[in-house]
Amino acid sequence: MAQQISPTKKDPPSRPLSAWFDVRKRRVGSWAFALNRLTGLGLVLYLFLHLGVLSLLLRGEESWDQFVAIAKNPLFLLLDVVLIFGLLFHALNGIRVALVGMGIGIKNQRTMFWILAAIGAILLVIAALMVFTK
Amino acid sequence: MTSATVTREKKANRAATVWITQVLTGLLLIAILTLHMISHHFVVEGGLRDYQQVLDYVQNPLVFVLELVFIIIATAHALLGVRAVILDIGLSEGAKRTLNWVLAILGAITLVYGIWLAFALQQL
Repeated sequence: MAQQISPTKKDPPSRPLSAWFDVRKRRVGSWAFALNRLTGLGLVLYLFLHLGVLSLLLRGEESWDQFVAIAKNPLFLLLDVVLIFGLLFHALNGIRVALVGMGIGIKNQRTMFWILAAIGAILLVIAALMVFTK
Repeated sequence: MTSATVTREKKANRAATVWITQVLTGLLLIAILTLHMISHHFVVEGGLRDYQQVLDYVQNPLVFVLELVFIIIATAHALLGVRAVILDIGLSEGAKRTLNWVLAILGAITLVYGIWLAFALQQL
């Protein structure tokens, strides 16, 4: 009996990690893919940090208000804008990926990307103004 | 139908379920996160609630339920996303099983901590 190799036994590496950092011959879809993953990983990190920060509330008013004072520092506010950029990019590009994955707008996905990028840019400017002026 | 074909079909079905879960949790997150950002930051003078304002806010039952739903779907979406990124590097079947367990345990810890924190804040 011929030896049968199960396809479930071991799948070969489909994309080495180094490919993420290869900037040659990249199209907009490829950049969007990489940035979607980078923003996603950043947001996962932020989720855990956020849960950690919220535990300051359990230590009492002084701990929380000290954190609020630090969070109003301009450098911290700039990080808020970076966070909002990550959220907007990941959310809007996620909508595009979901639509294309469902077979909607496949032929126009590049146009869809730029329309969503424009919406994201407008929302980012509005959010940044609110972060720095409120 | 060979066992290899059945296994492939099972894997394809599982991948489709994971993808749909990722899309649905993503859409829910967009809605809840928008509410979260507006109510916690954009309508608050100074951009952040002070101690008493946070406690008053989480006393609202609707807000409390929304925050619990937020923790659950954010954790699910986040960890499924991490799984997709790691799987993309290419792992053996054994390593995939280990990864699934590690992420499931991490997710369970995150949910237990997040839900405990929400209840603890409501008791303050």
